[in-house]
Amino acid sequence: MTAYPRQLRRLAHGLGTVLLCLGTLLFVLPFLFTVATSLRTAADVARSPLGLPHTFTLKNFSAAFSQIQYGTSTLNTLLITSLSCVAVTAVGSLAAYPLARITQGWSTAVYRLFILGTSVPVFVVIAPLYLLMRDMNLLDSYAGIILIYTALNLPVAVFFYTSFIRSIPPELEEAAAIDGCGAFRTFFTIILPLLRPVTSTLLTFVSLQIWNDLLVPLVFLQDPGKRTVMVNAYSLIDPHTVQPTTLFPAALLGVLPLLVIFIFFQRQVVAGMSAGAVK
Amino acid sequence: MFHRRRATMAAFLLPAIVVYGLFMLYPLARGLYLSMTDSLGGPMADFVGAKNYQTMASDSEVVAALWHTVLYAVVVVVAQNALGLLFASMLFRRARVRKLLSVVLLTPTLISPVMAAFIWTYLFAPDGGINGLLDAVGLHSLDHVWLGDTSTALYSVAAVNIWMFTGYSCAIFLASYMSMPAELLEAAALDGATGWRRFTSIEWPLLAPALTVNVTLSLIGSLKVFEFPLVLTNGGPAGSTETLTLLVYRNVFGGGKFAYGVALSVLLLVTVVVLSSATSSLLRLRERRI
Repeated sequence: MTAYPRQLRRLAHGLGTVLLCLGTLLFVLPFLFTVATSLRTAADVARSPLGLPHTFTLKNFSAAFSQIQYGTSTLNTLLITSLSCVAVTAVGSLAAYPLARITQGWSTAVYRLFILGTSVPVFVVIAPLYLLMRDMNLLDSYAGIILIYTALNLPVAVFFYTSFIRSIPPELEEAAAIDGCGAFRTFFTIILPLLRPVTSTLLTFVSLQIWNDLLVPLVFLQDPGKRTVMVNAYSLIDPHTVQPTTLFPAALLGVLPLLVIFIFFQRQVVAGMSAGAVK
Repeated sequence: MFHRRRATMAAFLLPAIVVYGLFMLYPLARGLYLSMTDSLGGPMADFVGAKNYQTMASDSEVVAALWHTVLYAVVVVVAQNALGLLFASMLFRRARVRKLLSVVLLTPTLISPVMAAFIWTYLFAPDGGINGLLDAVGLHSLDHVWLGDTSTALYSVAAVNIWMFTGYSCAIFLASYMSMPAELLEAAALDGATGWRRFTSIEWPLLAPALTVNVTLSLIGSLKVFEFPLVLTNGGPAGSTETLTLLVYRNVFGGGKFAYGVALSVLLLVTVVVLSSATSSLLRLRERRI
């Protein structure tokens, strides 16, 4: 082989890298544009919508902050997301233990019933759920919405935990049983500590879904004081009539808590999102 | 002793069965029943058999919404996976930028669909970012009212969906690339297999399981799309972005046609289950043949 094609190939490789970076830039351009516009005054944006900012202002953020009642709605979203995560983890891991260890026919049947839930869109159960919540007096309550999220996310949790527990060798539990350790204590002292890594993966996936969800809180929470960030943003801001200097800060504020989490837990988030693929 | 132990273990299932049964399985069963009544959401309802489904078949709005939903899903599945695969195959060959760029590509996945739709409503506006960008590079003739034209609205909404999840598809393909046996790739390189040849005869077959996962996931996700058309177009213009989910939402919560809306949600379930199980079993069959 001559040196010429090799050089040519290296050139093509370099060109590909440049194109790749440009392509990725194109994907984050909407973000950069959003941040830049959020920091400009409305008059400045009107003068040149795509121009670079001349003036910096944080006024847009404080306006959006009060418009979507950011303080209250963030706390509400945080409360709903964290309590649902706790419930999904507790109920899911507890259920997965017998499903992974008992190999009789009924156990597989129950497992299949849970997995069935992964392919049911929320839309299919939303109307009957509404009637049920109304009859149980759970409309407009955090308890109701947390129960719904628990039920909706149980299939993924059961899937994650069952396949993980199956990969744990049972010898340790057998030894514990011979020493007279009951099922309950075995679960808490032996199984539960081992579930930590799979739990963090599961929770990044589940919390992302709940934090970003619009439909469930839109339907089940009517009290303005209980609404989440997404519901407030959706119902208080009409993107077709509002200036980008109001719209963009609102969008950024909604994403902010997640971005902070993403920066801190980058590795788990990426793992969690790719693991969601197995769902 | 082991018998009692097993009974205690089985009791661990109770909370899950109660929550899942009451808030998932029961509503699912009740929905199937309600779809065959004339319920308005109140306590009074008569059984009407398949009447709602018959009405549906001749309801042009429903037929159009079903068509939009399927077309939308096809556009998203094809474009998102093609782009994701392109990025993954290029990133795989460039170890130095791989990690950074794949994480950057994932950032749109983090934001909520509502917020993504907010940003893109403005980008698609007549005086918004897309037209501005086209003007800036001298393509003023391509300016368009992206969301206001019946011929581009559905594709514009799909573009937002693609923008958000391409990084996700890319991450799954990339994970599959990284697990390819190094000896195989080296052997191929020694045999002089490069470029397109190497992709089609070695990488593409090895990517089959990742393709199955990616196609199935994006198909299910795009068939139940809700926030994007709701915020970006609310079904318009002239109903050109009306999807099944929007129809369900409107009929159940705003139209006084509760039972009809429930029947539409059953149609959505059937569409998702039929299309996703057909696609995934076809792709699994293909995996086995390769």
